[in-house]
Amino acid sequence: MEPTLMILILVLVVIGGLLASLGAHLLPVGGAPAAMGTATGIATGTVQIMLGAVMTGLFTASSVATLTNNLALVALSGAIGATIMISVVMLMANILYAFGCGVVPVSGRVPVDPITKEPQTPYKTPQTDGHGVPNVVFVSGMLGGFSGGLGGALMYYALLNYAHFSPNTAGIGAMSIFVPNAIIAAYNIRGTIEGFHDPKFKRLPFSLATSFVVSLLCGIVVVIAASVLGGVA
Amino acid sequence: MGLIVVLLFAWMLVIAFLAFVACTFEDLESDIGSQSNPNSQVQLAAQVGQVHRFFNKAISGEPLSNALYCATAGTITWMLLQKLEPFVPDAPWKAAVLAIPVGVLGAAMVHLIFSTTAHCGRTVAQKRFEQPLYLDVLYGHLLPIATHGYMTTFCITTIAYIQSNLGTLSGNPALNHPFALPMLGFIWGITVGSIGSSTGDVHYGTEREFQDRPFGEGKRVIYHGKITRYAECGIRTQRDIAGFCAKFGGPVTGMTFGLIILFENWRNMVGMVLAGFLPDLPAFTPTGDMTAVISIVAGLLIIAALALGNLTFVRWVRKRCGPFVGE
Repeated sequence: MEPTLMILILVLVVIGGLLASLGAHLLPVGGAPAAMGTATGIATGTVQIMLGAVMTGLFTASSVATLTNNLALVALSGAIGATIMISVVMLMANILYAFGCGVVPVSGRVPVDPITKEPQTPYKTPQTDGHGVPNVVFVSGMLGGFSGGLGGALMYYALLNYAHFSPNTAGIGAMSIFVPNAIIAAYNIRGTIEGFHDPKFKRLPFSLATSFVVSLLCGIVVVIAASVLGGVA
Repeated sequence: MGLIVVLLFAWMLVIAFLAFVACTFEDLESDIGSQSNPNSQVQLAAQVGQVHRFFNKAISGEPLSNALYCATAGTITWMLLQKLEPFVPDAPWKAAVLAIPVGVLGAAMVHLIFSTTAHCGRTVAQKRFEQPLYLDVLYGHLLPIATHGYMTTFCITTIAYIQSNLGTLSGNPALNHPFALPMLGFIWGITVGSIGSSTGDVHYGTEREFQDRPFGEGKRVIYHGKITRYAECGIRTQRDIAGFCAKFGGPVTGMTFGLIILFENWRNMVGMVLAGFLPDLPAFTPTGDMTAVISIVAGLLIIAALALGNLTFVRWVRKRCGPFVGE
């Protein structure tokens, strides 16, 4: 394998890992409290919702990779797929909160929505940390889905076209590099996060540094598998 | 419009419908077994002195457990297809009629084993809080869990079969998805669990588990663990909960997954039709690039519509409900 290709694989895998970490921090994760309407965000764990979105993106990216070998188009297709998944989930969750539980979407971390300037505190139930998916959280979730989907699709493209893995192996490989990055982000978040306006978002650099190291190691393993071991069918 | 376009469109609608059914049953299955996030309250109940008759099945997060069932079903189905398809070379789909239900049955067995060990293990671990292990609760819930799980896994495996053979079923094998059937089962298993966990469980966790608390407010921390233990008649078990959640939470969750599958496939179809990719499939040419560009633009339009929809909906619901008026 040419050194240029090796470096390209490493760079794409590392960028993909960093985007995965960034995406996980941008997603509004409410966890178990959100399932009781006690916290704002999506009512599941960081890794779980991130994986759900990225798997949808990966499916689309793998379909598009059979039509074109343009890196930007494959990566963007994956990103858009993940964004659509997360946007539909957030909108439908809001419908469920409103009609099934009678809860108004409200942020628990900011008194005023930074985007729409709507007041939040008067609408919040006491002894809760907000509920539902207000607009600023929705926008952050969209950006998180886009970032995560882009990262997953970039890794898939690198494994498929530069490391010359088969589509199935490239899919499993991309997911396997993605999962540890999402888990690192989940450890860094420690519970719930609303998105870029949440004070916990400031912890992002720690997660990015760890993701960089982990992704670099994964990238080296991919390069070894593709060159020294003679490729993976 | 050629026959291949009509067939692709028809299969797309079949897949979207199957996705709707799959996710509806996935949500109801998680409600019956009390899996995923609202399980924390069932777990907490005994610890705050609320002895209950709920089924306590926290095998793992829903995406991972569903991925396990769907990948198991997909693998068994794929192996059976390899063996059965040579018997019916003219109509290989006939092999799927047998292979898919048998494969899903294998996954249902795995599901039942995990449900039993998870419930028994979790409940006996709460002996110090005097939480009994009711055998009638254990036996009575296993069949609904297995049947609901069977429906989910069956629909996902069928979706995976259709997608991995989409081209063959529509007339051009080059359109088959590059991923193998078990891999597609794994992907959609993760996604269906992720959606069921993040959307449908809210109806169970926020409303049904706390039905004796005020409607129209988030559940305060002070209520946590104090779940509603009495049903309309007698003591509540999760068999009462499935009927309640099937009226709203389940279908909304199903619609979420159905819409995602519909949007994803529809925008790719639009790209293929508008760029002139069908029926010759000139891959890795400017036409292929144009197909991807159009599908990306269509995706951006869908995202913009969803964001606008959320903006309008949040504004409407805030105006309709008004600020919080309780104590």
